[in-house]
Amino acid sequence: MASLVLSNVSKRFGGLLAVSDVNMEVPPGKITGLIGPNGAGKTTVVNMITGLLKLTTGSIKLGDRDISEAEAHEVAFAGVSRTFQNIRLLPEATVLENVVIGFHVHVRSSLFAQLVGLPSSVRETPKLFERGRQLLERFGMSRYADHPAGGLAYGHQRRVEMMRAVATDPKILLLDEPVAGMNDVEATELGDVFKELAASGIGLLLIEHNIRFVNQLCEQVYVLDSGAMIASGTPQEVMHNPAVVAAYLGTKK
Amino acid sequence: MMNLVYTYQPLFDYFLLAVGFAYSQQMVLRAGVFSIGSAGFASIGAYFVAIVVKDHGMNAIVALLIATLLGCVGGFLLSIPLARLRGVFQAIATLAFVQIVVSLCLYFDELTGGPQGFNNIPKLVGTWHLLAAVLVTIYFMYVISRSAIGRAFDALRQDETVGATLGISIRKYHMIAFVLSGALAGFFGGMQSLYTFSIEPEMFGFTFLVAALTYIILGGRGTVTGPIIGALIMSVLPELARPLADNRQFFQGILMMVMIAFMPHGVFDGLVLHLRKRRAAARDKLFKEAH
Ligand SMILES: Nc1ncnc2c1ncn2[C@@H]1O[C@H](COP(=O)(O)OP(=O)(O)OP(=O)(O)O)[C@@H](O)[C@H]1O
Ligand SMILES: [Mg+2]
Repeated sequence: MASLVLSNVSKRFGGLLAVSDVNMEVPPGKITGLIGPNGAGKTTVVNMITGLLKLTTGSIKLGDRDISEAEAHEVAFAGVSRTFQNIRLLPEATVLENVVIGFHVHVRSSLFAQLVGLPSSVRETPKLFERGRQLLERFGMSRYADHPAGGLAYGHQRRVEMMRAVATDPKILLLDEPVAGMNDVEATELGDVFKELAASGIGLLLIEHNIRFVNQLCEQVYVLDSGAMIASGTPQEVMHNPAVVAAYLGTKK
Repeated sequence: MMNLVYTYQPLFDYFLLAVGFAYSQQMVLRAGVFSIGSAGFASIGAYFVAIVVKDHGMNAIVALLIATLLGCVGGFLLSIPLARLRGVFQAIATLAFVQIVVSLCLYFDELTGGPQGFNNIPKLVGTWHLLAAVLVTIYFMYVISRSAIGRAFDALRQDETVGATLGISIRKYHMIAFVLSGALAGFFGGMQSLYTFSIEPEMFGFTFLVAALTYIILGGRGTVTGPIIGALIMSVLPELARPLADNRQFFQGILMMVMIAFMPHGVFDGLVLHLRKRRAAARDKLFKEAH
């Protein structure tokens, strides 16, 4: 299993240095936290990792492979998957279809087979839907399989997005505020899901505002403020770091 | 009885051609590409087939295959400069392409007959040929819509960023959509040539592309049945509304506006979505009663 390593990564939007010289590692089998006040640059980091934004400087590696310049779909094939801060489901598609599209990287039949309907393609489709149903089962979402995804309750939509990301069978999973807007019970439930995923060998990057939630799940936490990495370490170390306290007290509540 | 058949056969034939062009239009829209270039590819296919079959005595089937291939190549080439465009910019760029094809057909009049049109094309295609062609097309549309390509198209149409982060190459799948759309338009353009005796440049101009769009807006972008329904409505409606024939454009316009406002997914796709929601709601109710 491979670590995701960011080295001296920066992102400039015109005059704004949104991310500045960030170094970070997301190891396999663990949940790594990334916290920071609003506008700190957390989502920008995720967008750079997933190839949606170009880096201004620095490099990103997955294991031995440099993915700094890779396009979004190449990053997905390399084994990095994500969820979005503002949930992005395919609204017309059913829950099951939303999950099945996550299997795109596992499709084996050739374009030609798909175009003319050779057995390799025709047989593959029901197999992927069966795998999708198993995934729904695992996340306790089976009864919503044929629901239009856009009509689900908020917490369920988050789960669908998570299942879709897990369907790609990622090495690294980036979760951008996955429990935002959930109550404590729902959040704890999802926390257990995250632990399971980590136990299966996936490296998770958990972005969160809620420091307590991060403390429960992460061994290693990074703190971003105004684009700069101001602290990293165990949750205890980070919590008692004066710079972190200042960043949070200074900008939040 | 025979009278009825004679009256409605041409209508049926045009309906079949319309289904072919509707699928060409749907192919791109399904993938989230707002191309209206089908008219241009249909024109290329139609003129190519007309010229080689009438003037050079080429075998019709070979000519149709080459027309299909020309559509593929044309779609591929057009997709390259348009890869960065989206939405209304794609529409405008492809509209420009259609107008270039129209003006080339007008300009090279020694080859194409210019504004007088290209006449006396041998009529080698009849109802059965059209029907067979449409059935084969439906097979392919069905197979593709059930494949990973169809799922990739559906994903890109709904949210291309999500598609990309799940491994779908936007450029590659948009290109595939252009190529397939071009192939269908080239082929059915050729069929139309061999059906209608004569073609002229404006047959594949603005009216054509509005009609192709209308089939999909009425029928739907996401299902194989949608374009058939759309083409059917547009073929039957003018017959039902004979008394309104003078104001046909006017009523067609009203119909479009009403559809876009109230059934944005089209008649058939809208119905499918509606039934899905109803079924989901019914199951929720059952579940709640059981607990
Ligand atoms: N595409 C963009 N163009 C210009 N500026 C941007 C863009 N994306 C983000 N920014 C700016 O970069 C900064 C960092 O934004 P980012 O969304 O990464 O913060 P965040 O840590 O995810 O915040 P939040 O907790 O609110 O989600 C902000 O000042 C934001 O306005
Ligand atoms: Mg954010």
